Amino acid sequence: MITLPHIPFIITIVLYSISSIWSIGYIAKPFVFNKKVATWSMMMGFFVHSGFLVFLGLESGNIPITNVYESFVSLLWCILFVYINLDYLYKLPSLDTFLMPVVTMLSIWALTFDGGDLFITISIPNFWLIAHIIPIFVGYAAFTISFSLSIMYLTQQRQLKHKLFGSLFNKLPSLEGIDKLMWKTISFGFPLLTLGLVFGAFWVRTQNILGEQWYLDYKVVLGLATWLIYAALLHMRLVSSFHGTKIACLTIAGFCLVFFTFIGTFFMGSKHAFQKMSEQTRKEILNIQ
Amino acid sequence: MSILVVGLNHKSAPVEVREKLAFNANNISAALSLFLHKYQTAETVILSTCNRVEMYVSSLEGTLTVEDILSFLADFHKVAVDEFSPYMYHYKDDRTVNHLFFVTASLDSMVLGESQILSQVKEAYTTASMEESTGKVMNQLFQQALNVAKIVHTQTSIGKRKVSISSVAVEFAEKIFQNFTGKTVLVVGAGEMCELLLKHLYEEGARTIVVANRTFERAQEIANAFQGQAIKYELLGEYLANADIIISSTSAPHYVIHVDQVKEAIRHRRGNPMFLIDIAVPRDIEPEVANIDNVYLYNIDDLQSVVSQNIDERTREVEKCRIIVDKEVEHFMARLEEMKIEPAITLLRNHFHAIGKEELERLKPKLKNIPNDDWEQVVYAVERTINKLLHHPAKVAKQEAKNGGGYRYVEIIKKLFGTFHHTDHLQH
Repeated sequence: MITLPHIPFIITIVLYSISSIWSIGYIAKPFVFNKKVATWSMMMGFFVHSGFLVFLGLESGNIPITNVYESFVSLLWCILFVYINLDYLYKLPSLDTFLMPVVTMLSIWALTFDGGDLFITISIPNFWLIAHIIPIFVGYAAFTISFSLSIMYLTQQRQLKHKLFGSLFNKLPSLEGIDKLMWKTISFGFPLLTLGLVFGAFWVRTQNILGEQWYLDYKVVLGLATWLIYAALLHMRLVSSFHGTKIACLTIAGFCLVFFTFIGTFFMGSKHAFQKMSEQTRKEILNIQ
Repeated sequence: MSILVVGLNHKSAPVEVREKLAFNANNISAALSLFLHKYQTAETVILSTCNRVEMYVSSLEGTLTVEDILSFLADFHKVAVDEFSPYMYHYKDDRTVNHLFFVTASLDSMVLGESQILSQVKEAYTTASMEESTGKVMNQLFQQALNVAKIVHTQTSIGKRKVSISSVAVEFAEKIFQNFTGKTVLVVGAGEMCELLLKHLYEEGARTIVVANRTFERAQEIANAFQGQAIKYELLGEYLANADIIISSTSAPHYVIHVDQVKEAIRHRRGNPMFLIDIAVPRDIEPEVANIDNVYLYNIDDLQSVVSQNIDERTREVEKCRIIVDKEVEHFMARLEEMKIEPAITLLRNHFHAIGKEELERLKPKLKNIPNDDWEQVVYAVERTINKLLHHPAKVAKQEAKNGGGYRYVEIIKKLFGTFHHTDHLQH
């Protein structure tokens, strides 16, 4: 259901789509598709996106995660935020070609969650919620970028193996360079994920949000699995100094798990701090607490 | 005024002829000053590279002919004219400009789009201007040629793709490794190609170089040249795991590096990629090595096919370059025509002002008591009148000259206003 207040997000999606098309087009026909169009439409999209989040936050008086849709929009914002900073720091050539389509797809998917009936049950001036959500979201963002990097790695690796030397080959950086960045993003995301999970566990224990058997919640179980897969990745890299294709494949698997944990669990029936409720009760909760 | 080029290149003449006419750093200045001594009003630039010898000459009213230049070359190099004249080409005016722009943009080079010619033209021009053998025309011409070459190289991809085996191999290595510092290069065999590749990698920063060869002395020779380490050929297997880049070019009739060895090496390397270049025929590295994860194997055919693709790519760009060059030639010729008329206009202006001054001098004694301020007003009025009168004809003449026929206008100006004072310079 697309309502008027969501128009800014639709504009954001349009801008992200333009950025995706131009960043892909730039590879094939650099004279037709100007790289600047890709960069600027992304930045403008990000700007509108940020504005939209502020609007959502002001509307609900909460950080914008009061339902699944808002959480999704916030997560996407984190991805862009981390990417823009990383790009500024490390100058990642052509990463937008791999990241922007992913972001655009996810944004469109996010739109389908608008009007869902799951709402958050706690109010935000809650320290635990912030301590739980923010590190996890930024961590997820880092993992999304490492996912794009591993797709990039596998693409370049395939081109080198099969001797496909097109314009994409020329525009992508070296395998070693991609590998290093993949490693940087994972080792940046992992501590944040750990922190978020630990805070989440504390929170759940102290406030009894998920009931007595909180550890059986799908989201909790899968969160732990995600943590384990990235821990395994780090272990392989640190202890056995593993590089190359296998790491890239594992990173992709890790990201799939991240996304399943984030969204898939709702399909499986996990409420995880969200509840079905009427608009009335929702307002009461938000106002009273 | 005319601009001539007389010369020969790798297409028109065999090396035996080219070398007879070639100039070197030692005698080029002498040649330039000798030429100037002989033809004092001419301007000249000599471009001499291993693929071409060309003399660009501009002279007043076309007094210098191709034969003059040929006989100068013959005299200077002490060769009979007919020994080389059948191999020479010569162009005039716009075709000369076109030729120089083409040469400088590397569209006439043996390796299309190579950038060396640009610096060679620059050097030829600098040498000539140091010898003061260039004037207004040659300065404009060569500066514009260098400019056009830059435009061609930035607006087309004529010089983008690599067109030699070793540069293509290095380009691939750069797609695997971020940089070569700290990387180990293992060289097996000691062919010429190997050395060339090694040189390329060394220039890009590879410093740990290990050389293995059947004859240890030869291995040592190469290792010394690149501050590397020579190893016994039998120890090759032990060094495999440390090598990031392996270049193989032995003359062995069988495989030298086998699948098991590389598998073992990659296991030790824990997935760190390995880049193997097999430039030997028959091949040195078992082709199945390519199937191992994180191993990238290229043989001479792989590299050669990329080279020829890139050459094709460059050839396809020539048409685009030609359009740019044609446009620039047109601009240059228009500017040249404009240049021809400029001195005539300056002289005309001086002529008018001289007449004005003459009249003012005649007037002054008649107006004995005129205050200084008023007199200045009179002088000002006369000068303004002259400038106003000249403004339009000068503008139109310049404009018309641009479309060709600058000389015609010089003639017309001469005819209309008679011989000026100091008109001798008009032709310049």
